[in-house]
Amino acid sequence: MRRKEFLQKAGLGVAGGAALPYILPSGSLFARGGVPKAEHVVLVMFAGGVRQQESILQRYLEDSQGVSGAAGNVMFNLFDGPAPTKKIVYGTDPAGGGTAGSVPIPQLLGSSLESQGTVFREVAAQSAGHYTGQTVLVTGNRSAAQGLKVRPNYPTIFEYLRRHAGFSATDCWMISSSLTNSYNLLNSSDHPDYGLQYGANMFVPGVVFGSYGREVLGNSKTYSQEELGPMYFMKNFLDKSFGLGQDEINTITNTDEDKTRIKEFIKYIYAKQSSGQIASPPVGSGDAFNISYGAEVLKYFKPKILTVNLTGVDTCHSNFTGYLKNLHRADHATGWLWNYIQTQIPEMAGNTIMLVAPECGRNLNPNPILDQNDWYAFDHSDRNAQRVWSLMVGKNVPQGMSVGNEANPVGRLTDIVPTIADIFGVWDDVKNAGLVDPMGKSLFERI
Amino acid sequence: MSMHNLNKILILGFMALSLGCKKEKVAEFGVAEQLIQDERTSKIKNKSEAEYISILYTNLYQKPISPNQLFKTQTVLVSIGDRSVANEMLLSNYFNTGQVIIPSDADMRNDIDAFVENSYKKFFLRYPNEAEKLFFKNYIGGNAKVSVEMVFTAMSVCNEYQYY
Repeated sequence: MRRKEFLQKAGLGVAGGAALPYILPSGSLFARGGVPKAEHVVLVMFAGGVRQQESILQRYLEDSQGVSGAAGNVMFNLFDGPAPTKKIVYGTDPAGGGTAGSVPIPQLLGSSLESQGTVFREVAAQSAGHYTGQTVLVTGNRSAAQGLKVRPNYPTIFEYLRRHAGFSATDCWMISSSLTNSYNLLNSSDHPDYGLQYGANMFVPGVVFGSYGREVLGNSKTYSQEELGPMYFMKNFLDKSFGLGQDEINTITNTDEDKTRIKEFIKYIYAKQSSGQIASPPVGSGDAFNISYGAEVLKYFKPKILTVNLTGVDTCHSNFTGYLKNLHRADHATGWLWNYIQTQIPEMAGNTIMLVAPECGRNLNPNPILDQNDWYAFDHSDRNAQRVWSLMVGKNVPQGMSVGNEANPVGRLTDIVPTIADIFGVWDDVKNAGLVDPMGKSLFERI
Repeated sequence: MSMHNLNKILILGFMALSLGCKKEKVAEFGVAEQLIQDERTSKIKNKSEAEYISILYTNLYQKPISPNQLFKTQTVLVSIGDRSVANEMLLSNYFNTGQVIIPSDADMRNDIDAFVENSYKKFFLRYPNEAEKLFFKNYIGGNAKVSVEMVFTAMSVCNEYQYY
C-alpha cells in the first residue's frame, strides 16, 4: 500500500471510529461527541412548602402577620435584597443572652445565586402537597394520581438519564431527608418501560449515617478482592440458576465494583464521623445535615446527577417563627453546597449546573395556631400554595437574568426534568417517551 | 335367525375375545423414580425486609432477633437504595460479631456433598439439583480459599433467598 493510500484509509478509519455510534441501554444509538451544557447537575428540592411572600417576594412579617415596615430578605444566598430591620427572629441566638434568633447568619456567597444565574420569579406548582410536589420535580409529570407509600407512576429523571444517556447507577444519586412521606421511593418509578433497573442510588443520611446505621452496619468487614471474587462468583451462579425476570427486580442494581465502592464510602463516612471530619454548613440544621452528606457523595462519586431534598420549613404548619428560621437555614445550606462544589470538588467546579426549586408553596391565609411570638401558622392547600419560584446557576446559565413576575408567571415545576434532560442532551428522547407533562419545557427554552 | 346360527355366533365371539386378551408385560428399565419439581416456580413472593432480616438472623444465630433490633435493621436496609449493598454489609456485620453458629471450614471440606445439601436446605428450603451440587462441589473443592462464610454470604444475598 502506498503511503498516500495508507494515510487516506487510516484517516477514514479514525473519522469513522470517532463518529461511530454505540448502543445505549435503551437499545438506541447515540452519536458520540454530543456536547452537554454541563457535566454535572445538582437539584436542590427546596422543599417543605415555601410561601412566595416570605421567600422571593421578601415581605417577611408584613403580609403574613400584618407587621408594618417588617419586609425584607431572609434568603441572602439565593436572592438579592436588603434584610429586614424589625423583629429579627430567624437568625442564631446571641451569645450571652438576648432575643432568640436575633443574629442573622452572615451571607456565605460573595454574590447571590440570583445574580450568578437565572431566576424564574413566578412559577406554577402542579401540586400543593409535599410528596406529589417532589414527585413532579423528579418525574416532570403532573403526577395527579400519585399515591403515598408507592414509587412514582412515571419515570424519574434518573431513569431517563440511565436509559437514554447511558449513565451508571453511581452516576445518579438521591439524598432523601427521611423515610416519611415515601421520599425514599423517589429514586425510581414503577413504570414498566423504565423502573428499578434504571433507578438511582439513594441514602437516607439520618438513618444510614445515624446511630441506627452505625449500630447495624458499622462493624461490617472490609473484604479483600480475593474474598469478594468467589462470593460474587457463587452469588452470580445462584442468581442465574434462579432466573429472576426484569419485572421481578426489587432493588436498583450496581455492578459488583460499584457495590464495593458504595460499601467503602459508607465505612469512609463512619471513619470521618469518628474524627469529626464531615464537611457541613457552619450553622447546623436538619436540612444542613442532609446537604452535608449530599456534599460528601458529590465529592466521593462525582455523580452526573444528585438530588437532595430539604424539609425543615414545614414547621410552618404550627410554628411561623421556626419556619422563618428554617427558611434562613435552608438558604444558608444551599449557598454552602454551591460554594463547596466550586471550592472543594475541582472535577465539578465550573462544570456543574445547580437547580433550586420548592415543591409547593403555602396558603395565603393562616390557620389559627399561634407560636411563641403570637404569629400565625400556615398550611398548604390553596391556590397560593401553587405559587413557587425556581432558580438555576452554573455553566452555560445566563447570569443575572430574571424571568417572569407576579403579573406574568413563566414556567412550571414540570420544567425541571426537561431542563436536566436538556443539559445532558437527551431532552428529545425524554419528550418522545411521551411521559412528561406536555406543557413542560426546558428552562433554557423559556429564557 | 335360527337357534343354530345364534350358537355359532356366540361361539365365534367367545373365541375372538379369548384370543384378543393378552397379559400385560411390565417393562422395567432400572431407572429410580424421581420427584420432578421446578423449585423456582414455587417461590413467587418477595420477602419483606422484616421477613428477610428475621429469617437470616435465625439462620445464622439459631435464635430469633429481638423486635427492637429488627426495627433498627429494617429501617437501615430501606435507607440504602441498592438493597444488595445493604444486605451484604449487614451480613458481614453479623459474621464480624463472631457469634454466628456455622460449620467450620474443615467440616465443609470433609464432606462437601453434605455441606452443600445442608446449606441448600438451610437457606433455600430445598435440595440442590445435580447441576448445583456439581457446581459447588467443583468450586469448593477446587478453591482452597473458599470459606463457609463466603458460601453463606453468597447464599444469603442471592435472589432466591429474597423469595419464598
